[in-house]
Amino acid sequence: MIRVEHIYKGFDGVTVLKDITTDYEAGKCNMIIGRSGSGKTVLLKNLIGLLEPDRGEIFYGDQKLSAMTYDEKKALRQKIGILFQGSALFDFATVIENVMFPMDFFTDWTRAQKIERARFCLNRVNVINSDSKYPNELSGGMQKRVGIARAIALNPSYLFCDEPNSGLDPYTSILIDQLISELTREYGMTTVVNTHDMNSILEIGDKINFIHQGTLLWQGDKTSILSTDCHELRDFLCANTLARNIIEGKR
Amino acid sequence: MIKDFFESVGRYFLFLKQVFRKPEKWGIFWKQAVLETDKLILSSIIITGVISVFIGGVLVIQTASNLENPIIDKMYVGYMVRESLVLEFCSTMIALILAGKMGSNIASEIGSMRITEQIDAMEMMGVNPAGFLVLPKVVSATVLSPVLMLMSFALGLVGGYAVVSATGIITTAQYLTGLKFCYNGFYVFYSCFKMSLFCFLISSISAFNGYYAKGGSLGVGYSSTRSIIVSSILILMFDLIVTQLMLY
Repeated sequence: MIRVEHIYKGFDGVTVLKDITTDYEAGKCNMIIGRSGSGKTVLLKNLIGLLEPDRGEIFYGDQKLSAMTYDEKKALRQKIGILFQGSALFDFATVIENVMFPMDFFTDWTRAQKIERARFCLNRVNVINSDSKYPNELSGGMQKRVGIARAIALNPSYLFCDEPNSGLDPYTSILIDQLISELTREYGMTTVVNTHDMNSILEIGDKINFIHQGTLLWQGDKTSILSTDCHELRDFLCANTLARNIIEGKR
Repeated sequence: MIKDFFESVGRYFLFLKQVFRKPEKWGIFWKQAVLETDKLILSSIIITGVISVFIGGVLVIQTASNLENPIIDKMYVGYMVRESLVLEFCSTMIALILAGKMGSNIASEIGSMRITEQIDAMEMMGVNPAGFLVLPKVVSATVLSPVLMLMSFALGLVGGYAVVSATGIITTAQYLTGLKFCYNGFYVFYSCFKMSLFCFLISSISAFNGYYAKGGSLGVGYSSTRSIIVSSILILMFDLIVTQLMLY
């Protein structure tokens, strides 16, 4: 479980995150949603430690992120899997080498064991017969899948996904969402997904945080979101035809 | 601007501290070091060799044309070519060329990884990206660059010999006598040391610029240009300092 308490973050005098307090539960898909520029990515980067909040605290279990030593942070990061918006696969490595990369550093497995585990992860995300391909030879959807395979290679306790559906067609987006949801339940991970994709929100959003202009305006789940009274959230939802139809139908 | 300069210097030293952390696994480090040796040193052999041969030849012609005085023995052409090559050309000139080739290679490679979040991905896995990506480059460039210097020196002398044989500007015997005249082995050590230092500067400064690249592909281009300029200026500055310290 991840707990966020009253965090603030600003850049060059502009406050981007204002007093965010929430928690992300294990075994659930926790979504951070909001318009572009609302502060979603900044919040995610604070959660994973790529940025440090100006004020406030983030707790992983009972451990305060800001109080962790270099070695404690390193140990924590080995329990974190991340899917970046652009997949961030290593150009210098093949598909299987990308998935084996964290194993090379943090396990004493033999090469055969690493290959076996990497193939298992790749099969789990339906990437088959592409072991020796380089990332630039893969489609966007395949890259995301390989990114997920790499993220789950060491059985992480936490999975963070930054815009997992960006640049993907609706069908592939649904497959990626289902995969994230299945893996979250299967491994009991604390998953945090940063998105503005309405299909994802309605499909896999076990817990949803709506960020508007750096403030956490609303928290709920995929069922309560459609009957929200939050004006800004309604505007956000109604920009999507599907959600608008559902909301208007409900009325 | 002065504040920016001192901030950059401070960040550079903090970056070096990160680079020289103990590698997570020595096996991975050595594997990377071999790959970087191929990419940075072995791939520079052809350009270094070609330039050295031609410069050796040009030095012979220029020196001979400036030693027309009948009192001065023609063997001094060989002597002066050797001294020019070993003291300055094979280390400083080659390092300036490598600042372009090696520097842009390192800065653009690491810069591209930065803007495509590959470095963030490594950091989030708990891997020290500076250690994994930069340390093998710095080590292979610093340790093996003297080999390039020695090769450049040898090929420069060969280039000079080829011109002497082809043009008859002086006799080959005079040239060879000059090469052996007043030989000081310390100059070779001095030149190897300079080359190591310069290649350390090139690799670390270029990696530093790439590592903190921002602003998309334009940022990568900027970091690449910046690393060449800064490396070149520092090479010339340290050339002066090291020469003063080691030869006087």
